Amino acid sequence: MWLFLLRRSGLAVLIVMLAVSALYLMIHAIPGDPASIILGPRATDEMKAALYIKMGLDQPVYVQLASFFANILQGDLGYDVFSQRDVSEIVFEQLPWTLALIFSAVTWAALIGIPLGCYSALHANTWFDTLTGILSVGTIAIPSFVVAIYSLLIFSVTLQWLPAIGAGEQGDILSQLEHLILPAFAVGLGWVGYISRLVRASMLEVMGSNHIRTAKAFGLPSRWITFRYALRLAILPTVTLLGVGIGYLLSASLFAEIVFARPGIGKLIFDAVSTRNYPVVMGAVLVTTGLFVIATTLADFVNALLDPRIRAGR
Amino acid sequence: MAINKIQQGLRLSRRTLLIAGTAIGLNLMVPFSMAASDEILQSRSYVDITSLDPSNYLNAVDEDVMGAIYSKLIYFKPGNKWEWELQAAESIEQIDATHIKFKLKEGIKFSNGFGEMTAEDVKFSFERAAFGENPAAAADWGGALEEVEVTGKYTGVIVLKKPYQPLWNLALSYAAGNIISKKAYESVGSFTNQPPASSGPYVVKEWRPKQKVILERNPDYYGEPSAYKEIHINQIDDEKTAEIAFESGNLDVTRISMSSVQSYRETPPNNSQLQVFPSLFYVWLGINFENPKLQDPRVRQAIQYATDVPSILQASYFGEAEASTGIIAPGLLGHREQSLIPPNADIAKAKALLAEAGVNNLELTLDVLNKATNVTTAQIIQALLSQIGIKVNINQHEAGSFWTLGSEKAGERWKNIELILNRYSMVPDPYYATVNFITSQKGKWNWERFSSAEFDELNEAAQAELDLEKRNQMYQRMQDLMEQSGSYRFITHEAEPLAIRNTVAAGLRPDGRPLYRHFKPAN
Repeated sequence: MWLFLLRRSGLAVLIVMLAVSALYLMIHAIPGDPASIILGPRATDEMKAALYIKMGLDQPVYVQLASFFANILQGDLGYDVFSQRDVSEIVFEQLPWTLALIFSAVTWAALIGIPLGCYSALHANTWFDTLTGILSVGTIAIPSFVVAIYSLLIFSVTLQWLPAIGAGEQGDILSQLEHLILPAFAVGLGWVGYISRLVRASMLEVMGSNHIRTAKAFGLPSRWITFRYALRLAILPTVTLLGVGIGYLLSASLFAEIVFARPGIGKLIFDAVSTRNYPVVMGAVLVTTGLFVIATTLADFVNALLDPRIRAGR
Repeated sequence: MAINKIQQGLRLSRRTLLIAGTAIGLNLMVPFSMAASDEILQSRSYVDITSLDPSNYLNAVDEDVMGAIYSKLIYFKPGNKWEWELQAAESIEQIDATHIKFKLKEGIKFSNGFGEMTAEDVKFSFERAAFGENPAAAADWGGALEEVEVTGKYTGVIVLKKPYQPLWNLALSYAAGNIISKKAYESVGSFTNQPPASSGPYVVKEWRPKQKVILERNPDYYGEPSAYKEIHINQIDDEKTAEIAFESGNLDVTRISMSSVQSYRETPPNNSQLQVFPSLFYVWLGINFENPKLQDPRVRQAIQYATDVPSILQASYFGEAEASTGIIAPGLLGHREQSLIPPNADIAKAKALLAEAGVNNLELTLDVLNKATNVTTAQIIQALLSQIGIKVNINQHEAGSFWTLGSEKAGERWKNIELILNRYSMVPDPYYATVNFITSQKGKWNWERFSSAEFDELNEAAQAELDLEKRNQMYQRMQDLMEQSGSYRFITHEAEPLAIRNTVAAGLRPDGRPLYRHFKPAN
């Protein structure tokens, strides 16, 4: 287990470094002059030159990248070129909003999708299974931003049950939860269908395996077989999916953050790219990449706990 | 008529200003006739604030907030005319071409115990903005400020290096003209969005990055108490999201998209109304003066004549925006009543010009910002120019890429510009527009690479011209020169459609921008 974790940790660091390096090269390949964008139309050449020096853009790209990593080791992610605030402060200020959204979306999606998929598998080819299949594919196919807009129109505009914008009042958990309902619904809806179908397929496969047949032959209760043996293995692909899906959820949360006018790291990155605010882009992507790697590592760890074969290295 | 309005707003006689100052002073003595409402005003901004330090501001939203929390010597009145009036100044007078004498009202207090506003605060604020590193604030002063001479506790003289008339509409009455407390600033060293002291009717209660700015009533304000207990300025990028928020009751005022204007006019959301204001922005089709394909002026003119502005307005602006005659909007000094080339296309003339130039099968690129209105306009232009045999290929760009297309500092892409659909922001002084198109702005903001010695001379001279009618004619002539070059087909100033709850009496500039200190509950 420790060797597993050590190997995964080393791989995680390597992934982050490669991702950040690739991003750095990409954002410098995008056309656009950050000084002109940042300083606006009235900037003089002297002002632009000074900003270039201040941002380190007068250095070769590889020097900039080396400086970036050196600064990271000192906990310095740079500063926002507009507000002069620390990037780390900005990123970790925005990140909780996105994490709350992602966690909420995944949680409700999993809480509904897993039982739904399990039930469908146990009652395969029944009307319920067919209906959930159709609905699942339907929800998967609808983009999250479409769900967002229509849920707004229904629940905020027409029914006026839920707030349309914002993230709620700080310090007021009920307000924040109220403002989280629609965004989480929009982001998570497609995942309900996806998780449901995945669990169903996985359950059907596991239910046909040798050890399940043996358990049935020994006369173990069906509920035991389903939830203690079958589901424990059938859930593995879903756990992996959720871990890998963090990246997708971040992009989905971007749309939710725009449509619902919520703060969050996706919107932060989007705005920063548009304005060539390189330090914020780099810092935010570093954190999100780290988040992704942590999520996938945790997923592997959970899988290892659930499946003894993984712990044994087989 | 426009000239008279501007002259009325900019009249500089001592008598007029003293009368205005007296009237305002008397008005302040009248008891507030109704109790201030305790309501919260929910407004929308398309972008987050950048800095509430007047010498470091970046965008119009910064000024929207600063206008509510600070004071200026003079400021633009709410209403439909571009006129300013005294605010912190009891009087202000231009005594000669380079000296402007002012006297502050007594008793204007800064919040948080930072005392009374004095001429030293004016000096500190103006010199810091004019001489600082921020390009926006420094440019508003145009390099003209020599110093602010303090002559008494409440009196001073703004001393200019050269005559600089944009001062009145730009430096004094806009963002860089906000006065901050010297003492408060020095107590904190620097600030961005948490001002240490305010002199306006509101103070910043809280700034939530990427979410909102919350203003609350300033208990130390010297004038009438603010009408609202709080104002929440919500950052909502997308107009459709803002509309949904308005329709769901989460907003009291917001700009809406052009595509929604008709429905909001015919069936406004519950308890609301639509108000459409003429914007100051200017939109044009740029034709690269120096591009080899377009060097023949007849080719450029052909493109001008083939571009049917009414078609664009109908398709892209749903008939809600007016054709522009230049880069200076109606109501402003320098506005031209008519363009040299009518807005309607003249296809026959365009074809004749191309034939005369011996050009056929011309293929051009049209660069455009990837926003719906812009892309639609580009597509209309594409269709229009095809009628005269010009094939147009549209290049869409995201904002970060588009806004540096013409910049020589940003690479070599400026050399490839042929046609470009552009839109610049504006403030109510013609200088702010024309300065973008002088020869020295080639490779900066003059992406058409237009060059005219007469234009450059006029742009310089107009800054110093004290005679308003002469100044007006100068800017009109400048736009003639732009149009005659063949590099510009002026399209529109757009419009500023606002949805406003009937419970709100909005205080707005003529272009619809909010003056939050003048918002109050409707009776």
